[in-house]
Amino acid sequence: VRGHRDLRRTCVAAIACALVAILAPWELVRLIAALPLAVFLPGYAIVSAAFAPYRLDPQRLLMLTLACGLSTLCVGGLLLDFLPGGGLRTGTWAVLLVLVTVGAARFAALRRSRPRKPKPRRRLRLRPVDALGVVLAAALAIGALALASTPLPAENAVGYTALWLLPEQEATDSIEVGVTSAEQGPQEYRLRVRAGEEGNVESYRLALDPGEERVFRVPVEVEASGPTRVAASLYREDDPGALYRRVTTWLQPGEGR
Amino acid sequence: MRAVKTKAFGAPEARRRLAAHGPSPLVALLLCSGFGLLLCAWANALSREGGDPTQLLYWAGILLIAVPTGYRLSLRDVPLRERFAMVALFGLALYAVKVVRDPFLFTFADEPIHAYNAEQVARHHDLFHENPILPVTSGYPGLAAATSALMSLTGMSSFGAGVILIGLARLLLVLSLFVLFTRVSGSHRLAGLAVAIYAGSSNFLYWGVQYSYESLSLPILVAVLAAFAEREVAAPARVRSWAVPIVLGTLAIVITHHLTSYALVVILLALALAGRLSRKPRPNPWPFVIFAAAASLAWLLIAAGSTVGYLSPVLEEAFTSTLHTVSGEAAPRALFQSSSTAAVTETPWLARLVTLAAVGVIGLAFLLGFRRVWKRRRELPFALIFCVSGAAFFATLALRFAPKAWETGNRASEFLFIGLSFVAAYGALRFVRRGPRWRERKAALAAALGTVIVGGAIAGWPWDAQLAQPLRISAGGREIESEPVGLARWVGEYLPRRKFAAADADARMILAPGGARAKTGDALAIKTILPEEALGGWELPLLHDHHVGYIVADRRRAATDAVRGNFFLVPGSEEDPLLPIEAMHKFSEVPLGRTYDSGSIVVFDLGDRP
Repeated sequence: VRGHRDLRRTCVAAIACALVAILAPWELVRLIAALPLAVFLPGYAIVSAAFAPYRLDPQRLLMLTLACGLSTLCVGGLLLDFLPGGGLRTGTWAVLLVLVTVGAARFAALRRSRPRKPKPRRRLRLRPVDALGVVLAAALAIGALALASTPLPAENAVGYTALWLLPEQEATDSIEVGVTSAEQGPQEYRLRVRAGEEGNVESYRLALDPGEERVFRVPVEVEASGPTRVAASLYREDDPGALYRRVTTWLQPGEGR
Repeated sequence: MRAVKTKAFGAPEARRRLAAHGPSPLVALLLCSGFGLLLCAWANALSREGGDPTQLLYWAGILLIAVPTGYRLSLRDVPLRERFAMVALFGLALYAVKVVRDPFLFTFADEPIHAYNAEQVARHHDLFHENPILPVTSGYPGLAAATSALMSLTGMSSFGAGVILIGLARLLLVLSLFVLFTRVSGSHRLAGLAVAIYAGSSNFLYWGVQYSYESLSLPILVAVLAAFAEREVAAPARVRSWAVPIVLGTLAIVITHHLTSYALVVILLALALAGRLSRKPRPNPWPFVIFAAAASLAWLLIAAGSTVGYLSPVLEEAFTSTLHTVSGEAAPRALFQSSSTAAVTETPWLARLVTLAAVGVIGLAFLLGFRRVWKRRRELPFALIFCVSGAAFFATLALRFAPKAWETGNRASEFLFIGLSFVAAYGALRFVRRGPRWRERKAALAAALGTVIVGGAIAGWPWDAQLAQPLRISAGGREIESEPVGLARWVGEYLPRRKFAAADADARMILAPGGARAKTGDALAIKTILPEEALGGWELPLLHDHHVGYIVADRRRAATDAVRGNFFLVPGSEEDPLLPIEAMHKFSEVPLGRTYDSGSIVVFDLGDRP
């Protein structure tokens, strides 16, 4: 691709973007690198290869770059699927997209035969008032997205508390009981866990803020004669007489469940 | 009188000054779109706060985005590059309306299904994983593959990658429409206006930009058609160049979406046949028809065999329902009515009026344009196809009266609207040609454009679901999520990869973001089992035989509605929002272990019995 400035830059950009996408630990940096690598660079290279030695106008070039880039992602996934051991990984995607870009760019360079004269660049002249307008429009769009992605209070929405119970994976003589609050405000609870009809009751008091979770490991004695029913009941401190949530399980003798 | 008028419009001097000191038209449109988007975000924010805001703010935002740009697209003397940039701005700004509606999670009915597919590809590094809710989607892995590429390369979730991918697809759609219309009409002014009119398609604003396979395949289809149109007039030396995007695009469509691939075959076939009617010699189109047909058929036989079983009942029901409605055996469907079982706010009469007016306006524009296209362009296969598809659009409107055919008609409209918008643009430009009352007619065109776009949006999405509902809210300075999302998070953390039976909305959330498997609806009679007040004895063995581990009992009636069932319950928004308590207690009486209880939602463990 020597001598073809656009193709050389495309190839270098593809390799650089692939390295950043593979190595960089930050999502935003990877996104900035991955987007050109995934869509624009392979699309541009394929279009250049297909249409060399002719030039396309910017409208058709952009449309075809996008179309070929997106199509390459769809078809490329299918090709990678043939690789043994699951081919759709970060590394294989990066390699495939770089290969497509470099291969198509090389093909385009061969078809172009002699280096293109670079087009004289149009200088982008932005009047101050236009620059201000663009900045303002960008600020409005960012403001809209920020407003949209900010969780707002919704006082009418009905909050809730989730109570759950699962046997512990590693221990057979205890269970995990979790309480998650999605209430509108801080809430105090009383949690009672009973194993068997005659068993002891483990009682806990807890206070949770909205969005907070507490998990309890509760030891239980499993009856040897048959399944043991374990029930966890949750009460709100502001209404201690009313059962708020209940979860249950049966633990089989000789095992957690 | 004449002098007064000249003075009132002012105007040349003021306009000169504005042009010299004010922002350029494109920047002014950018500002309008920014303000419009902010209004939409504000309306959604008010709605998310759980109130009942007027939708006027939202529609004002849409109009501010669409009308000034659409109007300028209809003007003469706009440079091609500026028009092209306006088209891109138009498409992306209207796409952003959907993004500001759903900035946290995918909530449209098909979105979690496809997000699950993408997550499976990213997790297992290969394609074709079973989808428990819509099995046919796993046979079309194009979208999942493309999303997983972005997920792998960026580390983003399927939501972030999906939003970017569909945004690129939307950009491709409007740019391809512009190139296609420019090539067929020879006028970029008409092409720009036709793209703006296309936004009046009922699926443009929301349905067409949901994270779903058709949202990716349709833009590629339009790009293939644009390439096909370019190839028809290309110099002999460049004809072969256009084959590359056509073939690559066709392959991508075939592995991405069934209906679009069949639509592509039909359109290419129609173009080839229409080309035979024309006397002008054209490059041979048949290799592409044969290639598209062979690829679609091969894909159907090799990888997507379930497509026939998925599509044939839908089309059969649509056909039967239409026959029954026409013959009077079945009552016609009332317009603007949702099939949801949840209590739904009715579409106000004014909104209905706008929608009907939109159909009237587009019909008039079509009639006005049809004569002109027929007279001037019928030699062109594309123009001929556009005329036929525009007329067919009005035929499909009749399907909206048949209870089980309206969705088929609605889905067909986004293909047919391509031709309709092209012909209607001819009519619109004829309407605003210079002559008496020119300014008034230009103003009427802007109003008509606004009506068509707003009317299309109302027709395409339920009135009460246009705005965002509370999904993630702030409480006490922290963030909390709705009950179905809370369930999905818990499933994702504690019971990933298990199999659930759940109502429509819950099942989708369990799929994504939950990451577990869930069956719903008619599958395993879940739709019947969940609301009944007592078990008949057959239900649990059936679920057990299909390896369902957990059943999610949800008292919210909205849970059966995949569009409305994902949000916080807001009292007063429905008359009777809960099922009888027995619908939940029947599982406790078996008895089954209650693993999770969040009030309205209880998860029962089918394997946890004494």
